[in-house]
Amino acid sequence: MAHVRPRVDLWDELVDSDGTPRPAAAALVAHLAALEHAELQQRQDLAEIDILTMGITFTVYSDGRGIDRAWPFDIIPRIIDATEWKRIELGLLQRLRAINLFIDDIYHDQRIIADGVFPVELLGDSVNFRPECRGVDPKFGVWSHICGSDLVRDSDGTMYVLEDNLRVPSGVSYMLENRAISKRVFADLFTQQSILPVDSYTDELNRMLTSIAPDGTLDPVIAVLTPGIYNSAYFEHSFLAQRIGAALVEGADLFVGDDDCVYMRTLGGRERVHVIYRRVDDLYLDPEVFLPDSSLGVRGLMRAWRAGNVAIANAPGSGVADDKVVYAWIPDIIRFYTDSDPILPNVPTLRCFNAEEREYVYEHIDELVVKPANESGGAGILIGDRATRSELDAHIALIEANPRNWIAQPILSLSTVPTLCDGEIDARHVDLRPFILSGETSSVTAGGLTRVALRQGSLIVNSSQGGGSKDTWIVETR
Amino acid sequence: MMLLSRVADSLYWGARYLERAEDTCRLIRSYTDLVIDLPTTAVSSWEPLLAVAGDRSTFDAMHDETKEHDIVRFLVAESANPGSVASSIATARENLRTTREVLPRDVWQAVNDLSLYTVANVASGVDRRNRARFLHRVIADCQRIDGAVSTLMTRDDAYEVWQLGRSLERADMTARVVGVRAAALVESERSAAAQKSEIYEDVQWMGLLKSVNALQMYQRATRGPIEAHKAVGFLLRDTMFPRSVAACLGAIRRSLETLPRPELTLPSVERLDTLLAAVPVGEALDASTAGEELDEAMDHVLLGLGAVHDAVASTLFHPGH
Repeated sequence: MAHVRPRVDLWDELVDSDGTPRPAAAALVAHLAALEHAELQQRQDLAEIDILTMGITFTVYSDGRGIDRAWPFDIIPRIIDATEWKRIELGLLQRLRAINLFIDDIYHDQRIIADGVFPVELLGDSVNFRPECRGVDPKFGVWSHICGSDLVRDSDGTMYVLEDNLRVPSGVSYMLENRAISKRVFADLFTQQSILPVDSYTDELNRMLTSIAPDGTLDPVIAVLTPGIYNSAYFEHSFLAQRIGAALVEGADLFVGDDDCVYMRTLGGRERVHVIYRRVDDLYLDPEVFLPDSSLGVRGLMRAWRAGNVAIANAPGSGVADDKVVYAWIPDIIRFYTDSDPILPNVPTLRCFNAEEREYVYEHIDELVVKPANESGGAGILIGDRATRSELDAHIALIEANPRNWIAQPILSLSTVPTLCDGEIDARHVDLRPFILSGETSSVTAGGLTRVALRQGSLIVNSSQGGGSKDTWIVETR
Repeated sequence: MMLLSRVADSLYWGARYLERAEDTCRLIRSYTDLVIDLPTTAVSSWEPLLAVAGDRSTFDAMHDETKEHDIVRFLVAESANPGSVASSIATARENLRTTREVLPRDVWQAVNDLSLYTVANVASGVDRRNRARFLHRVIADCQRIDGAVSTLMTRDDAYEVWQLGRSLERADMTARVVGVRAAALVESERSAAAQKSEIYEDVQWMGLLKSVNALQMYQRATRGPIEAHKAVGFLLRDTMFPRSVAACLGAIRRSLETLPRPELTLPSVERLDTLLAAVPVGEALDASTAGEELDEAMDHVLLGLGAVHDAVASTLFHPGH
């Protein structure tokens, strides 16, 4: 029988430390207990075949070329009670409202700096602050229209926000596809209990993108801008374009006309584009303003955007709030703009920018996770208790060279979810990436993408480094 | 609904490569049948397959002899041969992967299925023992894809570009079969008649018609025994049979009339119509030079199809280049 074993030292999302199922997970745990291991493995195998035939892939790089890999998925879902989720949802909405107000303020009056809440030096050093964006007024004051915030739960059960991906977050297509697969694997459970649907995301996305079109546009043309087929998230770019009926364009498919409007090159000639959902980083967006050698972007795009002739989601420059050092100020930012305390806590964060906190980091580096401000995908991260002395010293030297670029946090023991590993069920660490849409109105996905570290004891959940994924069920209990 | 020029280009090549894979499978299937049917004295060479579907110089660079296994492997599985079934399907998938937002989802899944099947089974599909099963599956999957396109896809520019790619490649294959195999058969009939030897010409004509899936429809359209000039006429000029060169040209014309700027693309089709009308069929085939003439005429038709492609590419896919 496929029993779920508890781990006393860790928080498990499905069972408590006695092995008693958490109420929202009771039906699943009972269902698993009634299955033979062979049957569970067979369901996993079938799910993997579905993923192959549905062409659900991500791209990895090896020997300088991109390889299209099947998406790694574990059939046992992660479950969150709808009551807890409601609070998380409110926390995320509050957070994004504050973050968007912050970005808008930074590119206008900088009240938060004038009031002494946010240090001006941080802005000067930020690699994601774009002076070219000063004074621009995106509709509704929203800059980060699509945000993926990473949540982790510590061993005491507290859910923390680990980071906010405000530029080009990916993963939402896998959230949707995981549900499609999961409904086949556990069809019975979906009819026996109330699991919140996730499919409305693409419709919400479409509605949000439509809402930010330049004023007076009746039937806006939306395009998803991709760096191309070799990008690791190309599957997602294509998936989202399909689901919202948008054109999937590369830089070379677009041009800016003499009228400072953006057009696509189509069979019938040129066609105006009103909204660009870009999956290309800021610096590649427009060779006229940013990297002059970029062939991924569109010459003149910033001109068109500043003139209000095209909406860009996320807005250029929105990454200013997406740096791990600015992250440390988010609780202050929330208080400053919303006049209320954060509903969701940040992971306690030491700022190496501050001399006192920096000294603490040097002394306790073997108990901390040290992170650079502006890397993604886990690059440059040091996990203190797993590093050698010389690795620790090397990182101290890096911090000393550029303190502003570094933060440190306690080593959280991420919560686990039972996972099928070589035919047995074993606990594996997870995180959760919900997606928050902001436009005329705001919304949060029901759950999000649960990423799982497939190697025992590993905390690395990135799919590029051996991580997998799970479906996330928000379950209503009474 | 608008369609990006780049996406149109990929869609067109995706459709062409799928058609190529399907047609190459038919060709190999019918030729294998034919060789198994006939006494070894009548047909022993596999070279005609290379002449129709292969790139002879690439093959010769890899092999000293022209053995069945090597030729079939070259046409089915060889990755160095861009026209092999395996390469065509891989290229089709790579192209169609960039067109998923304009294709019905079922079409992409069918393409993906076909690609997975091919990768897993192509090596074993070369042996005579498994060959028929492998070729049949590829043909059936290609038809499944076409079926999904015709029943699920909105009749917009993307649909017309798909049809255009399919029809051009199909016309190309039929013209090659006529140019190589029909021409050779006409020639050998003449010499066999002179030497009074048996070449089982009726079986060979049946095999030839089968290679473009035309036998059954030919028999319905033309009662009586198979005659060379009727068979050639059917493959080139029968506007009712969808794999004839004339019917493919009709389909190409209809697509181009719907797509933008037909005034720049249609003249190439009109020139091809004229060429086709001038091909000697019927009584003209009995002349002593018939085989050579047919071969030469088909070369002109193939060049004409190339000109249609050029007009389409420069007008629709790469305007301004």
